[in-house]
Amino acid sequence: MEIAYASPLSGRRLALVTEFLRKQELDYDPGCTFSVLIFENDELVATGSLEKNILKCIAVSPDCQGEGLAAKVVSELVSQAIRQGQRRLFLFTKPHNRILFGGLGFYPVAATSHILLMENERDGVKKFVESVRQPDAVPAGAIVANCNPFTNGHRWLVETAAKACERLYVFVLSEEQPPFPAADRLRLVQEGTADLENVTVCPTGPYLISSATFPTYFIKEKDQAADFNAELDLTIFAECFAKPLGITKRFVGTEPFCQVTSRYNQQMKAILPAHGIEVAELTRFAQDGQAVSASRVRALLAEGKLEELRRLVPETTYRYLKEGFPNG
Amino acid sequence: MKIQQTAAAGTMESSDIMVTISPSSGNNIEIELDSTVEKQFGDDIRRTISETLSELGITDAKVQAVDKGALDCAIKARVKAAAYRACGEESYQWGGAGK
Repeated sequence: MEIAYASPLSGRRLALVTEFLRKQELDYDPGCTFSVLIFENDELVATGSLEKNILKCIAVSPDCQGEGLAAKVVSELVSQAIRQGQRRLFLFTKPHNRILFGGLGFYPVAATSHILLMENERDGVKKFVESVRQPDAVPAGAIVANCNPFTNGHRWLVETAAKACERLYVFVLSEEQPPFPAADRLRLVQEGTADLENVTVCPTGPYLISSATFPTYFIKEKDQAADFNAELDLTIFAECFAKPLGITKRFVGTEPFCQVTSRYNQQMKAILPAHGIEVAELTRFAQDGQAVSASRVRALLAEGKLEELRRLVPETTYRYLKEGFPNG
Repeated sequence: MKIQQTAAAGTMESSDIMVTISPSSGNNIEIELDSTVEKQFGDDIRRTISETLSELGITDAKVQAVDKGALDCAIKARVKAAAYRACGEESYQWGGAGK
């Protein structure tokens, strides 16, 4: 047996792995940065790859199953991820592999009929959701938003939703993405909604619309993979968040600009009601006949048009953009 | 020794144990064990892990261990290696004969 490593795969080996995965109805993910290949008599018999803290594209030849090759592949990937400083690991696989990877230190987060997402911490998602749960209030509502940065549009959505439920959870995406750090985005939402008593602002952690639950959201590709990912993301929301938090309503703004988000909203309406969650799509808040969007705010910031931008954001966000954001 | 970072040692292959050690959130040793011989030896394995850490003077750590039936000496070796790595310590004191 021979083990080879690649970071990332290229050339002949990339073609070999791609073909090997295809035979098992898997696609190679070009975002992967590290791969393990196991050969037996010069033939590829097992492989697995790593994208940051996510293990994926793992496959073992059907002729070699039950020989501990999956354990070897996963051990290699976990060791590599930890050497790179990752601590919380996720694993993407097909639902029928639950027991196989369950024996390799991974625990299920949620599954759809196509994808099973696992994590290396037992009850990780359960503990996370418990840490944000408010003692009061059922039924609750929820908003999941990027708020990059927090605008008058977000403020209006939060305010409107807060009037329609006893407790409103606002989940701000924890995934790091330019230009504003996740901790700043979260703080701006907290500051901008501090006057609303029944609103709880919390991070999504790695569990909602993150590169683990929804990799294609950040790539903005419109294909079937995106639909499968959205389904997984919404299933996690329904089962791991809404159920324990008593959330029965999810509020979302209409999406006139981004196709991926617009498609995600459509799927929300298709999937969440089956879990007993009503979806309220509110027409995007407009000023001067134009929908207020964070992307417009970012564009104005890049052009240095601070006074024009000021009209689109709460005072707290304006102050941050003017003073707190170093390379504004 | 003090745990500075997350580090791992070992594999999840048969007769081995993969030990991952991270800084803990509290002041204690927290062990999350997943073992194929939990029923027979789960408590023994947990005890071996804690004792090995305490020999190294480590009092707070989060340990994730996936055991595939490793022998006691293998468990000790994996825990020590992971602990040294997690502490950023390079001079290993293995504690065997000929030290």
